[in-house]
Amino acid sequence: MLSIRNLHARVGDKPILKGINLEIGTGEIHAIMGPNGSGKSTLSSVLAGRDDYEVTDGEVIYMGQNLLDLEPEERAWAGVFLSFQYPVEIPGVKNIYLLKAAVNAIREHRGLPELKAGEFLKLVREKLKVMQMDEAFLHRNVNEGFSGGEKKRNEILQMQLLEPTLALLDETDSGLDVDALRVVGEGINRMRSPERSVLLVTHYQRLLDIVKPDFVHVLAHGEIKLSGDHTLAEKLEREGYEGIEAA
Amino acid sequence: MSGFSEWLADAKDVRAPEALAVGLPTKRVESWKYVPTRGLTRTTWQPASPQATEQFALTGGQFANVPAVGGCAVSENTLTASEQKRLDRMSQAHGFGLTQAALENTRLVLTIQPTASVVLNLHHLANQASSAGFATLVLRVEAGGQLTLVEQFESTDIESANLSSLRCLVTLSRDSSVTHVRFQAANATAHVFSNLDVECGENATYRLQTIEFGSKLARNDIYVALVGREASASVNGLAITSGTQYHDTHLAIDHVVGETNSEMTFRNMVDGKGEATFNGRVLICKDSQRSATEQSIANLLLSESARVNPKPELEIYADDVTASHGCTVGSLNKTELFYLKSRGLSEADARAFLQYAFAEKIVEEIEHSEIRALVETQLLGELKHGELIAELKESVDV
Repeated sequence: MLSIRNLHARVGDKPILKGINLEIGTGEIHAIMGPNGSGKSTLSSVLAGRDDYEVTDGEVIYMGQNLLDLEPEERAWAGVFLSFQYPVEIPGVKNIYLLKAAVNAIREHRGLPELKAGEFLKLVREKLKVMQMDEAFLHRNVNEGFSGGEKKRNEILQMQLLEPTLALLDETDSGLDVDALRVVGEGINRMRSPERSVLLVTHYQRLLDIVKPDFVHVLAHGEIKLSGDHTLAEKLEREGYEGIEAA
Repeated sequence: MSGFSEWLADAKDVRAPEALAVGLPTKRVESWKYVPTRGLTRTTWQPASPQATEQFALTGGQFANVPAVGGCAVSENTLTASEQKRLDRMSQAHGFGLTQAALENTRLVLTIQPTASVVLNLHHLANQASSAGFATLVLRVEAGGQLTLVEQFESTDIESANLSSLRCLVTLSRDSSVTHVRFQAANATAHVFSNLDVECGENATYRLQTIEFGSKLARNDIYVALVGREASASVNGLAITSGTQYHDTHLAIDHVVGETNSEMTFRNMVDGKGEATFNGRVLICKDSQRSATEQSIANLLLSESARVNPKPELEIYADDVTASHGCTVGSLNKTELFYLKSRGLSEADARAFLQYAFAEKIVEEIEHSEIRALVETQLLGELKHGELIAELKESVDV
């Protein structure tokens, strides 16, 4: 589904990604772990098309298309979804406006008919229940005044509504208490499907206890230093990143 | 040479010779340095004629259909010494003030009686091409009275420059309150002048919401004096300026006595070759202890050639006060745009969402629900690609 080859990216003059190679097959969950500043968030941002980063070399092939040629909205239409590490507050725009606009924009590009207000409400209520969110969230401004946990639930709610083919989850577990972590983790598990792949960026193992990844990769200094199965995450939790960073 | 020379030469008002001699303010006058005066000087202005209407309206410098509602009385056209002083100050504030005074067509004095609750809806009708109307409205709100004043502008197309000017004096006695909503959506060739002087007595509350979309040129001079303890004023405004429009608001609030509160929030959104000026000054006098003021000015520039001239000023001479202020100028936030686009919104829709959000923070504060709905509808019409939001509002707002 996703093939990252020799990906280099920088911010200003500072190189962040220094040759990433990664193959993600259809239906697989890959976790990217690594110390702070290793380039984890940069990787998911570059894949979603954030233009603060300049790609200097390499390519990314997503379902046969060159992903880096697409605008962020075209990537969304093609089924890519990024759950933000810091979800953006948009005072003045109700959450429900964004949700409905997003769902219908993506349906349009999949050749599906637009959801009418009633159909949309039925769908969104179902998903709210899964995320244990109150309906009042729909009529609040996008992420404005939401707690850290509420913002992350809102991201996963959006993912459930948009049904992406490739989900990029950037530190979705940060800022969550134990209960919220379980809700968010189970929300992600519900999205597991043979047709959907997930790239999960995380600093800690605790989310991986709930969402078992098929593969774990360690990113340090802008390169993947080590790959393994889910037992690698447990090893890292015990031993830390020090040995790997030195490698 | 001013476009009012001929008119002033014929005017009987005692201030006409001085107005004629002073002419219109030039760019050398600090408070007028950004105002494009070409439309004023190149038009040979004539008195506008009132049009027939069934509404309480300002047309051709005259008030039509002054409402006969309980609690609101038309008073004799004689000003108190203090009112006269305030009007004189208005006339002297800048060169155009004298012309406004000398060419005044009508003056209306209304008194809101003690503890009465009154709603006035004033409609500004468009004046004919090359014609101007000048009026003065004096409002006295007596103790405990409550006034809601809503000003709306008719937007009928006029082929060339037209002008309307309203000077308004509002005096709030103790425990009274005024909610003033001004929605300026005048025609595209209009020159709209508004001078507002408000005096707030003890425990009186003045609240102004001013929304400016229309006209070719608009100039607002707003002055609020908090003269009684526990008096408070809040002014929040939004100007959407595009094409070759020019919008200018000069707002000053004086805390003359202590234990007074003020709040000033203003947003400019400028596109095309539009230009917007906002000057917001708060003065807290030496003995006005335990006063509080909050000032927030935000400016959004949507094109390379849009211009904005924001100037926040705080002058504080008392030591026991709470004051906060902030002023920002920028284009649409890149991270917010990316967030929306990453959810599948097109660039155009994402931009419309953020512009709407910027304006809505002011519009959502309008308590008068009919006016708020009217402003929201027109706001969506002003935005490029506002259709998606209009559709969403209609389908999911309960």
